[in-house]
Amino acid sequence: MTTHEQAFERAEPQAVERRGLHRPSLSGDWWRHLIALAACFIAVFPVLYVASAAFNADQSLGGTNLIPRSLSLENFRELLSPDPAKSQLQSSTSHYLRWLGNSLIVALTTSVLTVLLGALAAYAFSRFRFRGRRLGLLSLLLIQMFPQLLALVAIYLILLRTGDVFPFMGLDTRTGLILVYLGGVMGVNTWLLKGFFDTIPSELDESARVDGATPAQVFWGVVLPLALPILSVIGILSFVGTFNEYVLASALLQSNENFTLPLGLRGYIDKQYTEHWGPFAAGVLLAGVPIMVIFMSLQRFIVSGLTQGSVKG
Amino acid sequence: MAEVVFTDVDKFYENGVHAVQDLNLEIRDGEFLVLVGPSGCGKTTALRMVAGLEEISGGTMSIGGRVVNKLSPKERDVAMVFQNYALYPHLSVADNIAFGLRLRKEPRKMIEERVAWAAKMLDLTPYLARRPKELSGGQRQRVAMGRAIVRQPQAFLMDEPLSNLDAKLRVQMRADISKLQRDLGTTTIYVTHDQVEAMTMGDRVAVMSAGLLQQVDTPQRLYDQPANLFVAGFIGTPPMNLIEADISFDGLAVTISIGAQTLTVVDAGLKRYPRLRAAGGRRVVIGLRAGDLHLADHRPELPSVTARLELVEALGSESIAYFRIDAMAIRPEGLDEEVDDELLGEGVTAARPNLVVSIPAESAYGLRLDTDVRLAVDTAKLHAFDPATGEPLR
Repeated sequence: MTTHEQAFERAEPQAVERRGLHRPSLSGDWWRHLIALAACFIAVFPVLYVASAAFNADQSLGGTNLIPRSLSLENFRELLSPDPAKSQLQSSTSHYLRWLGNSLIVALTTSVLTVLLGALAAYAFSRFRFRGRRLGLLSLLLIQMFPQLLALVAIYLILLRTGDVFPFMGLDTRTGLILVYLGGVMGVNTWLLKGFFDTIPSELDESARVDGATPAQVFWGVVLPLALPILSVIGILSFVGTFNEYVLASALLQSNENFTLPLGLRGYIDKQYTEHWGPFAAGVLLAGVPIMVIFMSLQRFIVSGLTQGSVKG
Repeated sequence: MAEVVFTDVDKFYENGVHAVQDLNLEIRDGEFLVLVGPSGCGKTTALRMVAGLEEISGGTMSIGGRVVNKLSPKERDVAMVFQNYALYPHLSVADNIAFGLRLRKEPRKMIEERVAWAAKMLDLTPYLARRPKELSGGQRQRVAMGRAIVRQPQAFLMDEPLSNLDAKLRVQMRADISKLQRDLGTTTIYVTHDQVEAMTMGDRVAVMSAGLLQQVDTPQRLYDQPANLFVAGFIGTPPMNLIEADISFDGLAVTISIGAQTLTVVDAGLKRYPRLRAAGGRRVVIGLRAGDLHLADHRPELPSVTARLELVEALGSESIAYFRIDAMAIRPEGLDEEVDDELLGEGVTAARPNLVVSIPAESAYGLRLDTDVRLAVDTAKLHAFDPATGEPLR
């Protein structure tokens, strides 16, 4: 350990003590707390409102108060076990669990493949020098400038025609939707990952190669483990983005049983006189659960400083 | 264990840089060879070509009698220690050391034994479960060494492994690595820009500059008989004084004129540089080690010159005195751009002392700054070089 580090370590406890002495006084800092409380309220209000609507026995949105007059699980019951006889939905039967399943399959597959393919592409761009590397990077960036929505019509037509040859990935299939999602975010993620890979010292690769690793072993054994923080961030962002995506899904999915959650839930509130805000709110609330689970499980990977100590003193 | 042979090896980079030119070098089995030179001289490129991390543009490279030009790093069976250690941060010390063996699918029991052996050898046993970030710089350096020795490769390649350590630790690790290498008897190529490291560690030292091999020899012979002006200026601390001087030869004695002052070269000096006689009437570069200059009162039998004392650095046992003498100081090409770049750029005075003398500490007390001092010159030990080619006048 260098003397510098030792000095640093010695200095740290003192710093903590000093911080303890200067406890901020409430009188001087009240406005900070005010701002923080306001921010919290703004962030939490919609969630509270939806939660309230979900547990409210009253069906109309206008009659909903933040604190419901009577609590009931009726909305959830209707959502999860739609009894056609009792259901207030006349046109289409609710497939809530199926939509949730669809959404999970699409979002999970998309995020896993996005991370994997993005990492492979980024690794090549970051580490190998090949003809067309620069051009490839630039065109990825350029294509990324146009939002995918611009290509909606083209994507629709491509899937329509593809479906003639490969029915499993044509219009109104989950595979087709996954492929479209994958193409949409590949560029950004490749750039992000390449930027991260560039910060991993190439000596690590070289050292592994001299130790006897093949390029694949270097990728899986050395580079990917070090990139876990950025991989999990990209995974989460892609999962949330796909899980919530509405426009593309609405254009490409047509049959009720293939709907993803946003499409399915839209069915509760898109008719003028038969809006069912209660089940809708319940559905939205339940849909938040998988996202929470993913966040919680990946949280521990999103730590900085994982590459600390690999090089230099 | 094996010898490493460079035969006419060339390296061109894509941008046209000729990083290594026509390198011929044989590193014997079990030898500790140090590649030294200023940064950008091609020494690291040469080492990376041995490892297989750089392609060889021309010539052949063989390890243990096997031509390895087209072999991948994996197939060459060498181990490399990097300047920044390149430890895998997500693996424990034990896993870092075992990494290469695991890739080679060695039996688990053998891996455990070898890791334990390497850890014991390097004093790392208490740290095996730790991550690299929990180690000090010196410990990390030892883990990097452990990763190399555990595989028992044909050769060790070390790329400035000590340059990230602080000065005291560096001196200690220098000795540790030398001893380790002698105990293991593994052929070692060690790259450094620090000529002190090169001199203290190498069985032989190869000096490179601008992609060209300048001289390969034992440290002592590099010091005593530099093959050219560059090596003379590069090897030795403090560096050799190199100053321009006019030679005259009257048929009997060779006289050197430094500015307006003259010195007669004794026979012992002429014996080492006989071509000094033929250089009569020409201007040459005279090289004088700091230790071959003395205060005139100490060596009254030697011829002397006068120089102005500008600075004294006390080192304890001896002092380094900086003088200014009326003559042009020469900096060999290559050294000029690289090593002294910082010095030249960041100097605080325009006129720098051009004569460095090491004197016993107790005599330094009698000296007063900004006075003229008579300096005795041991002409038996001087060096002489052709200013145009840098060749020694031997």
